[in-house]
Amino acid sequence: MSAAVQPLTTIGHVTPRVDAIARVTGQAQYTNDLKLPGMLYARVLRSPHPHARIRRIDTSAATRLPGVRAVITHETAHVVWGAGAVAGGRQYNDAIKARTRQRRYIFNNPVRCVGDAVAAVAATDRHLAEQALALIRVDYEVLPFVLEPEAALAADAPLIWPEGNLCLDVDNNCAPVVSDHGDIAAGFAAADQVFTQRYDTGFVHNAQLEPRCALAHWQGETLTLYTPSQGIANCRHDMARDLGLEDHQVRVVCHYMGGGFGNKNQNQDADLIAATLSRHTNAPVMLEYTRRDDWLGMHGRWPTVQQYKVGVTNDGTVTAIQLIGYSGMGPYRKNAGGISGLELYACPNRYRSLTPVYTNRTTSGNFRAPSEPHGVYGIQSIMDDIAYKLGMDPVAFTVKNMLRPTAEQPFTNYSLDACIQLGVDQFDWQARRKVIPGSDAGPLKRGAGFSFMMFRAALGTSSAIVHVDAQQRYTLFVGVTDVGPGAKTTMGMIAAEALGVPLSHVDVVSGDTDRCPYSVGESGSRTTIMTGMAVVEAVQNLQHQIAAQGMPTGNDVLVASATPAPTTAGKARQCFGAHFVEVEVDTRLGTTRITKYVAIHESGRIINPQTARDQIRGAVLQGIGQALHEDLLYDPASGQPLTTGYYRARHLTHLDVPTIEVHFLEVDDGYGPFGAKTIGESGIILAPAAVANAIFNATGIRMTSLPMTRDKLLGALA
Amino acid sequence: MHDTSDASSFRHQGTHPPADQHSPSATVPALGSASADAATAALIAPARTGISLTVNGVRHRIDVEDRWTLVELLRDHLDLTGTKIGCDRSECGACTVLLNEQPVYACSHLAVWADGADVQTVEGLARDGQLSPLQQAFIDHNAPQCGFCTPGQLMTATALLNTVPRPDAEQVKQALVGNLCRCSNYNAIVEAVVAAGAYQGGAA
Repeated sequence: MSAAVQPLTTIGHVTPRVDAIARVTGQAQYTNDLKLPGMLYARVLRSPHPHARIRRIDTSAATRLPGVRAVITHETAHVVWGAGAVAGGRQYNDAIKARTRQRRYIFNNPVRCVGDAVAAVAATDRHLAEQALALIRVDYEVLPFVLEPEAALAADAPLIWPEGNLCLDVDNNCAPVVSDHGDIAAGFAAADQVFTQRYDTGFVHNAQLEPRCALAHWQGETLTLYTPSQGIANCRHDMARDLGLEDHQVRVVCHYMGGGFGNKNQNQDADLIAATLSRHTNAPVMLEYTRRDDWLGMHGRWPTVQQYKVGVTNDGTVTAIQLIGYSGMGPYRKNAGGISGLELYACPNRYRSLTPVYTNRTTSGNFRAPSEPHGVYGIQSIMDDIAYKLGMDPVAFTVKNMLRPTAEQPFTNYSLDACIQLGVDQFDWQARRKVIPGSDAGPLKRGAGFSFMMFRAALGTSSAIVHVDAQQRYTLFVGVTDVGPGAKTTMGMIAAEALGVPLSHVDVVSGDTDRCPYSVGESGSRTTIMTGMAVVEAVQNLQHQIAAQGMPTGNDVLVASATPAPTTAGKARQCFGAHFVEVEVDTRLGTTRITKYVAIHESGRIINPQTARDQIRGAVLQGIGQALHEDLLYDPASGQPLTTGYYRARHLTHLDVPTIEVHFLEVDDGYGPFGAKTIGESGIILAPAAVANAIFNATGIRMTSLPMTRDKLLGALA
Repeated sequence: MHDTSDASSFRHQGTHPPADQHSPSATVPALGSASADAATAALIAPARTGISLTVNGVRHRIDVEDRWTLVELLRDHLDLTGTKIGCDRSECGACTVLLNEQPVYACSHLAVWADGADVQTVEGLARDGQLSPLQQAFIDHNAPQCGFCTPGQLMTATALLNTVPRPDAEQVKQALVGNLCRCSNYNAIVEAVVAAGAYQGGAA
């Protein structure tokens, strides 16, 4: 099992980012800051209809506008966007490309949601490009549309794809995804009481502050693409497949990007549209998405409907858990549509049926812990409810029922009990929780809620190269991009620690496929573990060379690389967390204010305490936004999206934000780079459940729909 | 919706020109109408106005298209790309610059309105290679995550510190309410601005 962490020299010490000065002086160059000689500006025309067939597009007036260099549509640019619909969140690959029946193009006909791309223009000036869009005449045959997953499955629902509205998977199968553990019927038969409840959750945008953009530049048969990407290696593979190129013909560059939160570990349609326009015009093309373009482009967390049925004995032992879930994927199945959370319980009898459904809303993509926060909200709401109905403390109910290591499934280490106990103490759970929910007198009611999680911290393959010159300067080449967590700095710290030199002796080269080897990409919170392990092994290889040959002299360099594929030999490797929150609900206004928030995490050894803490604080706040505010609402009559911006979706501002208290339990389980685990995604998982449970504890009202907005709260309180 | 608090002197100056400055002279042509030819001509050779302004202490005389926003002028024509465009419609604050020492959303301020103005951008915060105390505090407190909102946060906070040298956390939040951070690194940003006030020893 785990050992207490031994202090290290670089790792574990607060370390400013290696690129910190560039970030505070305006010198950090993001994609849209780049300019190339002769660069054109591009804009995209989008469907105003939720579902329509394009009869005819007349681009003649737009094409005639002086300064317009290219206008492309589905008739002239038949480019597959494979990663836009890989049917289930798998990385697009040749096998999927060959067999999928779900073809998505950069321009589709029919268009299947408001915002589906219809045409694109490249011109010498961005204003000209915008005006050219207004000159494109599109003759639409408007088709019936459907917005809600359950309605989309009705026999008379409008068909979004010929095969029907139940999403295809990567093998073109069209059936609910079922996981069935133990004997669900026997589990319910063994229960003294059975509880059921339906929950639903809204669509949440990644809403990264940098709108999508791409700068594409063909030189002969080689494409250089500057783009905000979380995974330059994956993006390059995707571009090559979609455009019929070899990988070596594509170079992807990303040195700074304005957030991602999960959407961008594949290529984007903006990348392909820019590349196509650049091909047509023989000039570099900068495609800029407007905020609305970005909002209606592929985004974040899919809306869900979750119907739970849970059996318990009178002593509070869960005997059966059943979930029938529906996920609204939009008209293309970019991702799996998962609803996680059942697996956090030890109960052996678990049945989950998950139906991803096509709708005429915008496409759901990936958002930080894609399957977890909404699922954990659902399952931990009903479990919290059951605990109170049985007269139990939800913490005691959890400790009785949460998953633990078994002989069949050992863990590399297990910290959930320790996380929960630390949280109970730090938060003062016994004092803050109302034994009788809603028992505060008066209109302002306080209450406390709790939630818990474990999240994969698996090992895997990535690559790194390190070299040293005669001046004893070390250079690390890693194919990471820095979405915000600080990957460049983290990789440099791991290298410095492994080399036994100060971080100032190490240069980190990243974000360029021509210079850096494969990295898994900034998704799944895998970079620190996987690319970090590659850094450790590359350094070890370098040290073997130095031991054998001595340090290089003159113009010589020593170069070492590694592509390790470590395993845990069948053990589960997880990070752990427990969040405790106190809210104050104003029952007159329906507003919810966070008055205390304590987040406990065990994420192995912490590499950089400051950036680690801020990953958790930021993630918690995003989770609070999901809990209380954020949604993409549609007008049911017209199919038009209504909340397409920061104000309308009501993202948190400085004034909405409480101080988030973060505590790390540090352990070294002997795996990963110096024992490091996962952080970035795990922090967002628990806020919606914890806040919902706290609102129940404060008011006695169980909120069954995310976000828990003022109008929903007032409705429930009425 | 975001900003229900009382007015403060750090409020962004909105999307309208100061009363004493002229409005843009060009009218928007009606595309696709009978005057399409005139409209096309206006698109190809849009009206320009000569303005002069000072940016980070450097004086510029430039003919600007009347449709250019201040952030376009800065980014595309003066090569100051530190100022970012997050929404281009007064929602996020990434484009905040100081116009005559007041924070404004440069995405929603026409370049012609800046005639005669003194503009300060993130590139002007460091002097002689020396970071400002606020910039140093942003580094020390890890205030930038992705960094895209950072220039705007820095500029609004600079305006605050110029007026309130040692703000408390609540004053910082009030002042920065118009600067969104989707990484939601709000706690660190507030800590950095409060610390910058302490670094400055209370002197602006």
